[in-house]
Amino acid sequence: MGVSEGEESCLLLDEKLLHFMDQLELLEKKRTSLNSLIEQGWFSMTKARYSMGNKLVSALQYANEMDPLVCVHVRTLDSGEVVFCTEKSAHKCSEESTKDHTCVENVGPQEEGIRHRKKKKNITEKKPGEDASGERSPDDNVVRKGDRDPLQDPLKWFGILVPQPLKQAQSSFKQAIELSAEIAALQIAVLNTQEELKNSLTNKVTSGEEFKGSAGEGGDPKESTGSKQEDTKGPSLIGSTDNGV
Amino acid sequence: MAGRGKLIAVIGDEDTCTGFLLGGIGELNKNRKPNFLVVEKDTSITEIEETFKSFLARSDIAIILINQFIAEMIRHAIDAHMQSIPAVLEIPSKEHPYDASKDSILRRAKGMFSAEDFR
Repeated sequence: MGVSEGEESCLLLDEKLLHFMDQLELLEKKRTSLNSLIEQGWFSMTKARYSMGNKLVSALQYANEMDPLVCVHVRTLDSGEVVFCTEKSAHKCSEESTKDHTCVENVGPQEEGIRHRKKKKNITEKKPGEDASGERSPDDNVVRKGDRDPLQDPLKWFGILVPQPLKQAQSSFKQAIELSAEIAALQIAVLNTQEELKNSLTNKVTSGEEFKGSAGEGGDPKESTGSKQEDTKGPSLIGSTDNGV
Repeated sequence: MAGRGKLIAVIGDEDTCTGFLLGGIGELNKNRKPNFLVVEKDTSITEIEETFKSFLARSDIAIILINQFIAEMIRHAIDAHMQSIPAVLEIPSKEHPYDASKDSILRRAKGMFSAEDFR
């Protein structure tokens, strides 16, 4: 009975360990591809920086308002596994891009008008505003534009007509984000498997010791008293766990 | 906003942050707190650690991406974080390529096969 239980636990341990190894291998593969994607992104960004100018691709260009275009949904499965699903707000982007096409034509004259508008806005705020009704249409445009800004494609932070390498960098980093979500889930899975493996290993060792103790009590008195034989039994148990692992 | 997913945070050098923000993960919340930290030469370790801890405390962050060389600076804080969410992911930086032997997750996994584990 005891032997078969021991064998079973050994097989289970083997299975878990193989699963653990598979997960580690997969993690390493995904890591390698993540690193190469990030490197590719940097390379493209450097190319863009070369053509645009050093200071035009930097932290100074970040927008004042930001809304995430990629979100992560965390799901915990019944088995305890955690899954990260990335979700792009693609509809927002597409809406933005169509809106922006119409917006691009008006950008020049509107930007010129903004300086006047700020002054006029102050005036209209001071004066109660029926006479400002004629001026409201550009104001509305400004408000709309302000609303749109947070959902804007981050590429627009760096200009309207950005070079192709910057777009390539963006696509590389988008892929890297998806992959990083997968890797994060895999990391959690690796740690969970490790915990399971540890627990079953300690269970096996303790049950083996109990079995050994009961065998020692019920077996020949010579065996239980013979210190040499106990010494040989000890390592054999550890050896069996090693084989099991 | 109820069904909105969680965020990905970044702590990294300028290029890493710019790249991931270009990918669309950047957010400035109502308190104008960003979900990223651009680490420059004059950024102190305390600031990095505080930001990292504030990201850990935020419930709307699911993954924290951090450059490995910055992770090395606050290794104790990363090793102390044992919860699965937010997951901490170490990534390479331009000057410092990724070294798996320094990664906290892989080091934990490697510990599985050390002699101490079998005691």
